[in-house]
Amino acid sequence: MKRFDYLQPDTLREAHRLMEKARGKAKYIAGGTDLMVHIKTGAVQPDALVSLKRIQELSGMTQNKDLVLGSMTPLRDIERDAPIAQNYSALAQAVMALATPQIRNVATVGGNLCNSAPSADCAPPLLVLEARLTVEGPGGRREVAVEDFFTGPGQTCMDMTEILTKIKIPCPHRDMRMAFLKLGRVSIDIAIVNAAVCLTVEKNTCRKCRLAVGAVAPVPLRLSSVEKMIEGQEISDELLNAAKDMAEDAVNPITDVRSTQHYRRIMSGVLVKRVIEKAMKGMGV
Amino acid sequence: MKKVITFTLNGHEVSAEVESHRMLLYVLRETFHLTGTKEGCGQGECGTCTVLVDGLNVNSCIYPAFEVEGKSVTTIEGLVGEGNKLHPIQQSFVDNGGIQCGFCTPGMIMSAKALLDENPNPTEEEIRKAIAGNLCRCTGYVQIVDAITKAAKSLK
Repeated sequence: MKRFDYLQPDTLREAHRLMEKARGKAKYIAGGTDLMVHIKTGAVQPDALVSLKRIQELSGMTQNKDLVLGSMTPLRDIERDAPIAQNYSALAQAVMALATPQIRNVATVGGNLCNSAPSADCAPPLLVLEARLTVEGPGGRREVAVEDFFTGPGQTCMDMTEILTKIKIPCPHRDMRMAFLKLGRVSIDIAIVNAAVCLTVEKNTCRKCRLAVGAVAPVPLRLSSVEKMIEGQEISDELLNAAKDMAEDAVNPITDVRSTQHYRRIMSGVLVKRVIEKAMKGMGV
Repeated sequence: MKKVITFTLNGHEVSAEVESHRMLLYVLRETFHLTGTKEGCGQGECGTCTVLVDGLNVNSCIYPAFEVEGKSVTTIEGLVGEGNKLHPIQQSFVDNGGIQCGFCTPGMIMSAKALLDENPNPTEEEIRKAIAGNLCRCTGYVQIVDAITKAAKSLK
């Protein structure tokens, strides 16, 4: 394994300064459960790692109206948070399905996003919950919608020096129903397909639909065409079958070690149908 | 780069000069000669390197050593009591045949310890979820789950 320096700044400003000084040869590290594996296999070979663990303002969860997660919040804390299980069940279900207890004790929600794997389990729920991300670089702070964050496999809209600091999730509407589903060989595996939905249903009619799938395109994908088709309709078997067919056409999967393009395409449709059924049964929880 | 890190290891404060690219597993085995913690996959998949950091089970093979500064680390050696008396979880693995080749056992027991510290009365499903990050290639998991179930009872 390549040797690297390990730097542990206490503030964002110091972290930015270290990253600027490294001129593209350093990487930020959050929990490191993915990054360390990439370093060990030689896929990534940084001269230095800049750890974000000591930066106070990146940790903690707060809820006034919106829920604000510090980017360094370990998945473990989300998994054990009763209000999140109650009000943001799609996110809670995704975190519970993500990897192993040992990984969830260390890995962070921000790391899961910044890693920008198309299969990231936190991405579909945050897409359907319309989360907004705060990104902070040496030049200042900006806010981006989570759907604009991912730009390709392993790539985000951030430059080398920027740090994802906060994830803001709007307060859910009372009539909202949501769910997450994941297909893997076993749940702890990286997803073959994952999906999340958030529906606002009034008098059996779907007023608002947000639908996202992962691991079936270069980035975690909002299915806008399917959402539009569902909105204003009553959730019926016919509608779900139409959604299934439309989802199959909307995705753009690849064949890799975990699955084939063909199977992923078909299962995208199946998961879209099932995740909506799950949300409708779940009555919002 | 090198740095002296200070942390609590199995109840004792220790210091060691560590290179910045080292993982906790390496420091435990090569610096402190605590070879009970094993390296399996080296990529955070198999759980045989599991130790507790501040009471939480983690994969020490992908845990940067610099991050344990000021923290408390418990390895399988730290469970053994006075006069080399096995911890009730260890004893239960012995008594219930939860061991075959033994390579996964230290990690398996550390995950069991983390579970029982948080939840002294786990269901079978909770036990299975708690050891989902620990692979055993010999026995299957029936005796292991049995050993943890019985350990929970003997700890009461």
